Amino acid sequence: MLGDSAKAQEVFQTTLREAALRAAQGELPREPFWLFRDARWRCLETVKEDLQPEALKLDEHDVAPHAASQIEKLEPAQLAVWISGAPDPQRTALALFYLDEFDYQEILDLAELKLNELSRFLAQGRQQLQAWLNAKQPQQGKV
Amino acid sequence: MKMSRLLRRQRTLLNCAPISHDRLADRSMRAVVARADDSDEFRKQQNFDRAVAEIVHLIPIPPETAEWFSEKDLNVGSKWTWRKMARNPAVLAISIAVVVIAGVSVFQVLSRLNDFPGSATARKLLTVAASTRPVMLDPVSTEAGTLSDLFFMKHGLEHYDVPAEFGDFRTIGCRVFEDEESRRIAQIWLAEKRIQLFLFPAERNPKTGAVLWFPGWRYVHQEGWAGAVTERSGVCFMAALRGSEKDLALYISNTKGQ
Repeated sequence: MLGDSAKAQEVFQTTLREAALRAAQGELPREPFWLFRDARWRCLETVKEDLQPEALKLDEHDVAPHAASQIEKLEPAQLAVWISGAPDPQRTALALFYLDEFDYQEILDLAELKLNELSRFLAQGRQQLQAWLNAKQPQQGKV
Repeated sequence: MKMSRLLRRQRTLLNCAPISHDRLADRSMRAVVARADDSDEFRKQQNFDRAVAEIVHLIPIPPETAEWFSEKDLNVGSKWTWRKMARNPAVLAISIAVVVIAGVSVFQVLSRLNDFPGSATARKLLTVAASTRPVMLDPVSTEAGTLSDLFFMKHGLEHYDVPAEFGDFRTIGCRVFEDEESRRIAQIWLAEKRIQLFLFPAERNPKTGAVLWFPGWRYVHQEGWAGAVTERSGVCFMAALRGSEKDLALYISNTKGQ
């Protein structure tokens, strides 16, 4: 979500500290995923304070048959930065989806999205990532 | 199958198809994934997603954060389990209520199974037996079987006969009284184990006036008292004592079920 481990660490600790305080006061919400929702909003607040990327129309390419091998060559940090650079709520959708810890209904609940929005963000995300991969690894992209 | 042949809603769902098959959350998602499973386009999407998810899992987590979690703790959300559900206060309260209602219903059904014409009156008379003191009766020392004549001669009560099972026991006293429905009831106190005998009119069909007959001996219970009731010639007879059905059964065991 942040593409920066130091900021992520700070958000994580703040979220936990706040949760511990609420627990001590017996004020923990009964709704599921409240901790994740809370962490998400803290991430978004943190990002707001940073320099904002220019709103660009990214290229979109159809998912290539050899995409998996292109992705394998990525450094995890590069992918983290790419996802964190996406505008929210697409960033949230991609982050939660690729964590592979939630089903789509849980993602809809957590990210406060509608099904068609989530579907569009994921489909666009795949195509934009493919375009970025093709740009990064042009040789393979042409095969 | 081509994914383009899918309906728009199915296509929308398919874009959100989970990376792991164990996250196929609902039937519609399962159905659409099953339908698209052999399409090249969907296979490409799944391979792409799996590859991205693998890299995402390799994104380093700061050690200070990682140490907060064991592998087990990373399971997201509260998963539904029978044990957890059983501990839910609402489920627990509803379960207890259902058990209590079921218990009361079973108790009532079992009570009804033992009901017979005149059982309500018999239970009331057990309450009378519990509150009666010997001084409230006219002292009579004779054999219980002989009191039929007294009831007929003095009170005009026909067929108020003590059955043979209790006819030979010595009496301490007797009386005739009216209950709240103005029915005339004969009460006899025996020396034997302070047993009390009651004779009262049998229940009748309100339309035809016919006596509601029942066979043999039936038992009633009320506040620690037990009564054995039988009906003969339109008159019910009840032997009552403080104790259980077993104590009474000793007296009528030879004739039970007749």
